[in-house]
Amino acid sequence: MSEMDKDSRGGGRSGGAKRDGGDKAGGRRGFFRRRRVCKFCLEKIDYINYKDVRLIAPFIPERGKIQPRRISGVCALHQRALQTAIKRARQIALVPYVTD
Amino acid sequence: MSDVRQYELVYIAPPETTEEVLADLHTQVAAVVERFGGTIEKTEAWGRRRLAYEIAGHREGAYVLEVINGPGALTAELDRRLRVLDAVMRHMIVRVDEDLAAADRARVRRKSATTARRVRRGLPPEPTESERQRRADEDDDDGGMDGGFRDRGDR
Repeated sequence: MSEMDKDSRGGGRSGGAKRDGGDKAGGRRGFFRRRRVCKFCLEKIDYINYKDVRLIAPFIPERGKIQPRRISGVCALHQRALQTAIKRARQIALVPYVTD
Repeated sequence: MSDVRQYELVYIAPPETTEEVLADLHTQVAAVVERFGGTIEKTEAWGRRRLAYEIAGHREGAYVLEVINGPGALTAELDRRLRVLDAVMRHMIVRVDEDLAAADRARVRRKSATTARRVRRGLPPEPTESERQRRADEDDDDGGMDGGFRDRGDR
């Protein structure tokens, strides 16, 4: 299982998208990777408030960058809204621009 | 659209700012808003909060949020004033009425779509208590999703 794990990580760089697509249909045992769904669609959040740090924080990894949606699974519509929310939150120091 | 818009103003004062100074800031903001024929819908003092990064040598700040209804010209003046004030380290004015209205529309649209779909299937328009219960159980399940993407997230 750990072998497979490694394999999938290695492939993530080049043909990642294709391979991930195959996974959810094939259903690889052990390594359970649920089809990622947009958190905001799921919870029916229409307005991503920049003041709500608890809502935004999961999409800001340690480095402080905005998490790409290929990783978080957020839909295009909500990623755009999330992006502006994060940028606003950065301006008023609720969320860092960079952390090192 | 009418010319009355809704804005949110957030400003951050140094952490050692006294109540009087904060009150004074608020009256200054209120004066500008009034001059342009706007109104302050609500004021929220968040109190001292940790800043995500250092501003003007401070690691903490006293946050104040003002929700303002008024014309667009108001923001320019407000922005200019706040820039000059020493008691404000950082401020931001954001227009929110359009986004909130869009969110409202989305909510209404989804609600009516759900109702229409349910009626078409011959179900009562509103989800029943037992259905809601089932939905909640499924939601618990999805909690695992977070872990799923975080482990690849920070690389």
